[in-house]
Amino acid sequence: MSTLAQVLLDGLLAGMLYALVAAGLSLIWGVMDVINFAHGEFLMVAMYLSYWMGFLAHVDPLFSWVASGVFVFLLGALTYRFLVSRCIGKAAMAPLLATFGLSMFLKNLCLNRFSPNFRILQSTLLEGKKILLGNIVIGMPQLVTGIFSLLLLFALYFLMKKTRLGWAIQATAMDREAAELMGINTDRIYLLVFGLGGACVGIAGGLLTSYLAVHPEVGSLFGLIAFLIVALGGFGSIPGALAAAVIIGLVEALAGFYIAPVFKYVAVFAIYLAVIMVRPKGLFGW
Amino acid sequence: MQKRKFLSFVSLLVFVLLLSAGSALAAENVLKLGVLFPLTGPCATAGQRCVAAVETAAEVINNKHPELDVPLAKQEGILKGMKIQLVVADTQGKPDVAKSEAERLLNQEGVYAIIGSYNSSASKPASAVTERAKKLFMCGCSSSAALTERDFKYFFRLAPTDKTESKEFVEYIEWLNKNQKAGIKTIGLIYENTEFGKHAADEGKAAAKAAGFEVVADVAFNPGATNLNSEVQTLKAKNPDAVFGACLGGDYTLWVRTMKQMNWLPKVALNYCTGYQDPKIAQQLAADGNFFMGGTGYSPEIGAKYMKKVAAVEKIYSKKVGVPFDSDSIQEAVALFILAQAIEKAGTLDVDKVAEVIRTTTFDSPLSLGGKVAFGPGGQNMKATSIITQLHDGKYVPVYPPSYAETKATVPMTPWDKR
Repeated sequence: MSTLAQVLLDGLLAGMLYALVAAGLSLIWGVMDVINFAHGEFLMVAMYLSYWMGFLAHVDPLFSWVASGVFVFLLGALTYRFLVSRCIGKAAMAPLLATFGLSMFLKNLCLNRFSPNFRILQSTLLEGKKILLGNIVIGMPQLVTGIFSLLLLFALYFLMKKTRLGWAIQATAMDREAAELMGINTDRIYLLVFGLGGACVGIAGGLLTSYLAVHPEVGSLFGLIAFLIVALGGFGSIPGALAAAVIIGLVEALAGFYIAPVFKYVAVFAIYLAVIMVRPKGLFGW
Repeated sequence: MQKRKFLSFVSLLVFVLLLSAGSALAAENVLKLGVLFPLTGPCATAGQRCVAAVETAAEVINNKHPELDVPLAKQEGILKGMKIQLVVADTQGKPDVAKSEAERLLNQEGVYAIIGSYNSSASKPASAVTERAKKLFMCGCSSSAALTERDFKYFFRLAPTDKTESKEFVEYIEWLNKNQKAGIKTIGLIYENTEFGKHAADEGKAAAKAAGFEVVADVAFNPGATNLNSEVQTLKAKNPDAVFGACLGGDYTLWVRTMKQMNWLPKVALNYCTGYQDPKIAQQLAADGNFFMGGTGYSPEIGAKYMKKVAAVEKIYSKKVGVPFDSDSIQEAVALFILAQAIEKAGTLDVDKVAEVIRTTTFDSPLSLGGKVAFGPGGQNMKATSIITQLHDGKYVPVYPPSYAETKATVPMTPWDKR
């Protein structure tokens, strides 16, 4: 029984992390209908920033997530201003290919500057800390990331549903021209959404360095899973991203333990295909 | 004015022609070799070090190094002054890319031979390309035994195979049971789901079963995973006494850290040619990496004691990558030294004659543990040896065989909460 509880808990915490990574992508994809292929690389950049802050200035990831969030917010905003905004309204694939190019640029830049070495931050405040509930082990870094994820998703949800800015974002997502006629500066909304999307993944990256090695390839699989979550949860839906992420985390953990570890991604993609066949909009799609 | 323009044009043309003639003349005395490794992707760290090792060997061979006591160091080039020119290519760690890059190196770059390719899954298709073209493939550290079971004529591999290492692991466990009363009865395996990982696991299982150990956990995972929770959870639930690991790079660090998070360790963790041997990873894992073990063909500590001639060569290598040789990269340097010695001995670039020299000669190899290299059937280096080391504060301390052992291994490994 304790094994099942441990597996479920691991799945839940992995799902929370995925939700944090995917939330930003969900916003961008839902509002702008733009696939940001560099999302995984944004995570990598945030992890490097957090790592170097920890390594050089001894700032713990528990604090450096702020800097990572701000930095990737700016990176996202700049990406929109200088890359994506020039592609919107052109060929449908243009923004996708532009962000794909950006992802390659960022990955190879880090490969060139920081080498492909795996970098681990030692002696972080949360390192090795755990809560023991009988036989069940809860890693503190994972727990803290999970709590951050919930708080951030709640804040995003609040922003979207209860603030004028959120309404403006939703209006822009529904009909850009109509929103402009209502006096909404949609270009600024897009800029902000790209920045916010970046900030979410930046915070996730900042926290992740407390328990994951940093290297130029680290964002690739996270990026892929984030796409899956957004499609499964429904484009632009924050609760959808959370629900989908938790489902994926749990399926991954249960299939990995009870069927075979090598089967876990087969199960994850099978669940995704099954849901999409029944409900192509995703679980909570607009 | 017209005349001036015409003269300028003719001068430019003559200059360009002279330049190309110069390079053509220079090219006559250059031997192009393909260096095919993963320079991007999850194994890029290891790949870049392998390239640096081959470059180091080329530097030693191409220039006079009277201070070095290694073959060909005291002369300039091979075959009376022929310089080695390396053409580096990237496999990305992918078999299909390795194959197409091998084809490009042979057909477009016109290389004489290829050295590569770290991942067994990449070496396999790349060497099939060279074999068809009747060109040499010198493989330093790919460890899948299947590579030398294909009866290829132009493929030669320096490192010990997974089969050899598996037998050594099992032999060591039996020795531990006898001499340190380790009480190891069950074995678990954790490995990446690739050509290398699967083959290592098969060899590990076969060796363990042959010696009467029970294999209780067989955990394959997809390399580059976001977490290894269910993998470690599976190991923890089956609780094997010893674990054989085949996890490369970042997966190795994730495996170690997930075991720490789940507060579980086997009595013994023995690693194939993996992240364990990477000195940078050992440094990054710091105390968490302590007491893990693995097969090691080289470490600075082993070098200082048994391979004293390496240190001077290592200085050149360290300048390139900032770390000393490791068990994998040093084999790639050896691969080039052996190829160059064979060409020198054959006195010709005829591939068949050089291959025959490689097959029939016992080479002096100060960069190899044991000091000699000689190839057997399938192109496997029959003199390849590795010893089992245990990490103690970032140092690879030999623990087996007894003739090499410097200390008694910490068995069982010290639990996480008592470190």
